[in-house]
This record gives sequence, structure tokens and C-alpha cells, in this order.
Amino acid sequence: MRMSVYFGERDRAGAQLLADVLLELFADRGVHSSILLRGIEGFGIKHRLQSERLLTLSEDLPLIALAVDSQPRIEALLAQVQALSAHGLITLERARLLSGGVADAELTPGLDAVKLAIYLGRHERVGSRPAHTAVVECLHRHGVAGASVLLGLDGTAHGVRHRAGLLARNTQVPLMVQSVGESTTISSALDEIAGMLSDPSMTLERVRVCKRDGVQLAEPLLPPDTDGAGLAYWQKLVVYASEQSRYGHQQLHSGLIRRLRREGAAGATSLRGQWGYHGEHQPHGERFWSMRRHVPVLTVLLDTAANTLRWFDIVDEMTRETGLVTSEVVPALRACGPGIAHGGLELAKRQRLSE
Amino acid sequence: MSFVALWLGVGALGGVGAIARFLLDALVSTSTGARFPLGTLVVNLSGALVLGLLVGLAVNRNTYLLAGTAVIGSYTTFSTWMLESHRLAEDGLRWLLWANVALSLLLGVGAAALGRLLGAG
Repeated sequence: MRMSVYFGERDRAGAQLLADVLLELFADRGVHSSILLRGIEGFGIKHRLQSERLLTLSEDLPLIALAVDSQPRIEALLAQVQALSAHGLITLERARLLSGGVADAELTPGLDAVKLAIYLGRHERVGSRPAHTAVVECLHRHGVAGASVLLGLDGTAHGVRHRAGLLARNTQVPLMVQSVGESTTISSALDEIAGMLSDPSMTLERVRVCKRDGVQLAEPLLPPDTDGAGLAYWQKLVVYASEQSRYGHQQLHSGLIRRLRREGAAGATSLRGQWGYHGEHQPHGERFWSMRRHVPVLTVLLDTAANTLRWFDIVDEMTRETGLVTSEVVPALRACGPGIAHGGLELAKRQRLSE
Repeated sequence: MSFVALWLGVGALGGVGAIARFLLDALVSTSTGARFPLGTLVVNLSGALVLGLLVGLAVNRNTYLLAGTAVIGSYTTFSTWMLESHRLAEDGLRWLLWANVALSLLLGVGAAALGRLLGAG
């Protein structure tokens, strides 16, 4: 299972920064894999726009802390995380943790698509190559629809904390390779990746690919408002694009964040990858001699299932030429802000995705 | 005014200018929500206008040092203008880049001249 905590760089828990306290907690409990990611742009419950591109708006950038472990171990963290993160968003998602090989992967073909997340060390190597480029190349070769490498600032790997420092070598600071593809392509890539890495930590989740390179493949998943027992379903849309992807004259991710904020969406965050691809493109990353940055950017949007249809229309319009759009059902979400508190962290029943 | 008091004043008022810039920039940038760095432009133009005004009013040396060099000096920002222009270039937003450079220059010189005219008038 995966817990995601969305908050701000300047948020505090008592005298310490929330980011530090959360990661200390993850290390203390020996969380199997966790990673702290910094967004480049976004807005949340306070509806304040933050952007890395404007100096004054960059002093409180969005952060996401992900923790992956077995369901009981994640649930054991919840009370403490909720108490610490007074303002922000917490979600729980069903992600199957694979470790020690892929024998237990058992991917069922035909059922929508699969999201595979692989947690690696920042300078981990496969032969003479950085492990993350080798993994992305492998995913691309097997026809997986898209992959992005997201650099972590802090995190735990197999329960041990590794934190990035300015002068440290940072070899083991976690990064994650997030990829989405049909179960057959993911499953063939997985076999090869498992042979490549010594002790990989990976998670699998079910997602639906709604759009690829401007072509609509499916509607977003439409769960009912609640499961039989009255627990709400939430919806997550993710747009995978390049930093140079355009909608008219604007950057796609930047235009999307601003449009969603104007229209009153609950929140959205953009994350920049350092390497990756989507659709038909070759894997790409930053080039030394190029002024423009050719790196992947993914934009995450969370809201109620009913509202998400409205946001999907906007996403659909803005991704009419490029981008990979996925939809996921989020079985538990809790949002807290000044005077606002909704949702809860009890898991809604598993949804059938096959219909 | 003693020498020490004057320089302490420069330090304190410099801080006031920096805070004013931060607040105004944040207000403009979040309320428009635009990708164009309008907050920085508003700050720099208003600073140029006030500095022109001080020159036009021909205030005494100490007042000029405190209000001009200290407050306006830390209120306006050349480095942010440059950094944000560079980021527009990085993002390939060519029209916004040139608009940011040209508007700041033309309107900035205009604002200083207008301030001076108002002060002298």
C-alpha cells in the first residue's frame, strides 16, 4: 500500500519542518520505501499558487512524501502522520509491493493498464550506466507507454534513511522511475528489470490510460460516489508530458495548473523528471548546450470522482496534441486546511476496473 | 543626524523595502496567476517612479539616502528581473521573454521620468 502526503516546503510540525519530521518518522518505523519529492508548480487547499519559475512564489514549493509498505504497517503510521500534517492532503492507494523478485507479480492481462514504480539509489549503476537510464531504456524497448525519473530529496530504502546533502555523494538517496503501460508490456519489462537490479523495490498499481499523444483511448474511471458502506471514492488524473510540450503558446503543465486553479479545482501539482519519455518519443533529459529543458513533467490532480469529469474535459482539451493521461481511483483521501476538513483515511472497497 | 544613526537607518529601511517588495510581488503574482512575471514588473516600475519623484522633489542628502538608496534600492530588483527572463528563455516562451525585457526598459525609463516631472512640478 502507498501513502502520499501533499504539503508545502515551509509547513512545520512544532519547531521542525514537517518534511523532516515525516521522513524521520518513516526512518524510525523502518518504512520499506519512501521518497520525498519537490514539485515545480502547484496549488492546494489554501489555493495559493506556487511556482518555481517566479522568485517570490518559489519560497514554499509543494512537496510530496510517499511511503510504501504493507497495509498494516502503513495503517500503523496514519494516526501520527495525520496529527503532524495539520494542513495538507493525505491519500492511501492500493499498490502491490514487489520485493525479492517478480514471481509474485501475476499480472492479469487485459485488465486496463498497470503503473509500475521502481525505487532506486540516485547513483546506483547497472554495469557502466546509471541504473535509472538503463531501466527507462528497458521500459521503452518493451513498449511501455511512458516513464519518468523523479529525483528524491530524502527517503528510506529497505527501511534505512538516505537524505540528500549539498556536499555528500548522495549515492543512495532514492529516486523513483514511474511508468505506465499495458500489463503485457510491463510484465515483459519487469522480467528483464528484475534480472538487472540486485534487490529492487517496486510497486504495481492498476490505472487506466485515457489518452496517449492526443488520441483518446478511454474515458476516465468512473467509480460511484461511495462504496456500499458509505466510504467515498476519489479520483486521480496524471498528465505525463515534456517540459517543452505546448498548449497554444503556453507550456502545457503550467497552463494546465493555472487553468485548473482558475476553474476552482481542489489542487494540482507538477513534478519535473530528470529523464524519461511518453508515447512515441525517445527517452530524453537535460542537454548541456541547450537553453531549453527537455525533461518530462507530470501533473497530478486529485478531486472527488464527480468533479474530476469537469477537470478531465479541460485536460482533454489541453492535451489534444501530446501527453499521456491516466486515471486512477483513490480509495481514501483526507484534506485539511484552514477551516476545512473532508474525507477520511478508511479504505473504500476495491473497485472492479474491468467493465 | 549622527553618522551611526544614519547607517542604522539605511539598514532598517532597507529591510522594509525588501519586505514591501516581497508582499507586493506575492500579491500581484498570486492574484493574476499569470506565467508572465508581472509582480516583479510592478515592483520595479513603482520603484522607478518613486525614485524619480525623490529626485524631482530635490530632497536633502540624508532623506535621499534613506528613502532612495535604502528603501527603493532594496525594494526594486534587477537580479529577479534577469533570473525570471532567463527562465522564460529556458521554457522557450520567446514572446514573454522579449515583452519582459522591453516593457521593463521602456516603461521603467518612462516611470522614472514621470516621477521626476511630478516631483519637480
